[in-house]
Amino acid sequence: MNALALSDTLPGIAPASAPLARLVETGKVYGTGENAVTALAGASLDILPGQVTLIEGPSGSGKTTLISILGLLLRPTSGQVWIEGRDVSRLGERDLPGLRARNFGFVFQGFNLFPALTALDNVAMAIQMKDPTAKNPRGEARRLLEMVDLGSRVDHLPADLSGGQKQRVAIARALGGNPPILVGDEPTAALDTKTALSVMELLRDLATNRGRAVVVVTHDPRLEKYADRVVKVEDGRVVSISGENV
Amino acid sequence: MWTLARKLLLHDRLRFAVAIAGVSVSVMLVLVQVGLYFGFMDTASSLIDASSADLWVGKAGNESFEFASPFDERTYYKVASTPGVEHAERVLMNFAQFKLADGGDLGVQIVGIETTGLPMLAPWHVIAGDVKRLAEPGAIVVDRTEYSKLKIDHVGHTTEVSGVRAEVVAMTKGIRSFTTSPIVFTDLRTARSYMPTLGSDAVTYVLVKVKPGVSPLVVKAQIDQLPHLAAYTTHEMSERTRNYWSTRTGVGAGFFTTAILGVIVGFVVVGQILYSGTLQYIREYGTLKAMGARNSMVVRVILAQAMISAALGFVVGGVLAFGMQAAMAKANLTVALFPSLYGVTLVVTIAMCSFAALLSIVKVLRLDPASVFKG
Repeated sequence: MNALALSDTLPGIAPASAPLARLVETGKVYGTGENAVTALAGASLDILPGQVTLIEGPSGSGKTTLISILGLLLRPTSGQVWIEGRDVSRLGERDLPGLRARNFGFVFQGFNLFPALTALDNVAMAIQMKDPTAKNPRGEARRLLEMVDLGSRVDHLPADLSGGQKQRVAIARALGGNPPILVGDEPTAALDTKTALSVMELLRDLATNRGRAVVVVTHDPRLEKYADRVVKVEDGRVVSISGENV
Repeated sequence: MWTLARKLLLHDRLRFAVAIAGVSVSVMLVLVQVGLYFGFMDTASSLIDASSADLWVGKAGNESFEFASPFDERTYYKVASTPGVEHAERVLMNFAQFKLADGGDLGVQIVGIETTGLPMLAPWHVIAGDVKRLAEPGAIVVDRTEYSKLKIDHVGHTTEVSGVRAEVVAMTKGIRSFTTSPIVFTDLRTARSYMPTLGSDAVTYVLVKVKPGVSPLVVKAQIDQLPHLAAYTTHEMSERTRNYWSTRTGVGAGFFTTAILGVIVGFVVVGQILYSGTLQYIREYGTLKAMGARNSMVVRVILAQAMISAALGFVVGGVLAFGMQAAMAKANLTVALFPSLYGVTLVVTIAMCSFAALLSIVKVLRLDPASVFKG
């Protein structure tokens, strides 16, 4: 990955120590009474600009619940979620799409690209969906694809791209609308080692040079070298955060 | 949104073709069935609609235009002398036997009219012969489309109607009867000779032209006061006849039921295609919602797909309906296709496709954006 090219092209979010998002004692319980199942309990976490945070843990440990709450896709049953300087944990569904569009980009293991759309159209459409008033979404999409080294593949359909290239398109799509936080759900799991590391280098570069906060759920310990922090989750609890006392 | 919708539809061309075929067949069925209905109704009321009369006067209690009971000429004179009536004409209508060239007989509908001056009812769309000769005894005018039924092939053909001489003096094009019995125009006196059992002064209808400046409704009210008579404006008579055939025979229900079935077929096909397409892209739609796309944006994509299907299906179905119209014309069937029918069908098609999209819309509205993180 070409870090210099990246830093040359992506508008930056000034690194700062203030968290972009904060989870305060957040918990999630499914069901009630005897049927209640605690998916997450008392999780607190700051998401800082310019940092890559890995979330690790065994299957069923609560990782997905944690990033779903962080990404405002799931409402916690307890605790607070601070975004844009306010607790948004009790906001209704009418307010959440706008908050998500402004603050988050998502990257998935399965890419989730529209197979009928070219790389350019996939990214442009996401930009337009996030902000229907966006000016020149195709131009912006082209710029983002060039930034992730796919400038020569903009007119290719996902079926004509390799796994790594698809994930780069997905990252470009996640960057549409210039959100400060990128959330990845096992973004390298479907990729070979070389490609997976290349994708992580790209995400690392976005954090280092563009101030993005990158949060990645993974099972792969080889990715830890790209992380500023590793959050370990077990049985619905954050059991450790590297470099911090939990 | 339109670009995304179009590309999603076209990505699976076979499925898209099935969707368009479903809408097209539906549109064609609606147009042809409703067009056939209006074609039949136009045929049923064609004699009335072609007249220049202000009022049609018949025997009270007559339900069917074609099977009306006659009255005698004294009634005609009562109508003619009603204040406000400028001119009145007698029409005699009933069925008689037409002798075929092969010796057989065919029931025909005799329309006896007054042939002097400019009658309020006379053969129209005359394409051969001399309609002025209709005043001659035994002169008849028949329609070109009935030639095969009547086993005649030219103007000048002579035969018998009810054993009385008849000669074809002119030919029309497109005048047909709803009863399927060919219409035979002739002079009133000749008509009476063809139907001697009705009496020598039988009249079925009196056509009335009111004086300038006089309301036909006023004259109608006065005629209605006469015993055993009922007067209708030409428009009322036309509607009455259409309603009779539409409701009493069930023909209206038949045609519209088939049209509704067409809409249901289209609804099911489009609904299934859109729903399977939505399921195919459900993770992608979920991703868009996770990224902040509002429900309205995603719904618009699905509705746009429905509208594209509706528009293309309407165009293809409309062209197919034209083809069916031409094919049916060869079988002497009239499919009445007119702009307002196309307009209403377009609205029905859009509504059909929109409702067909409802299931898909509900699916994406209920789609939990968090589901994108679940496997």
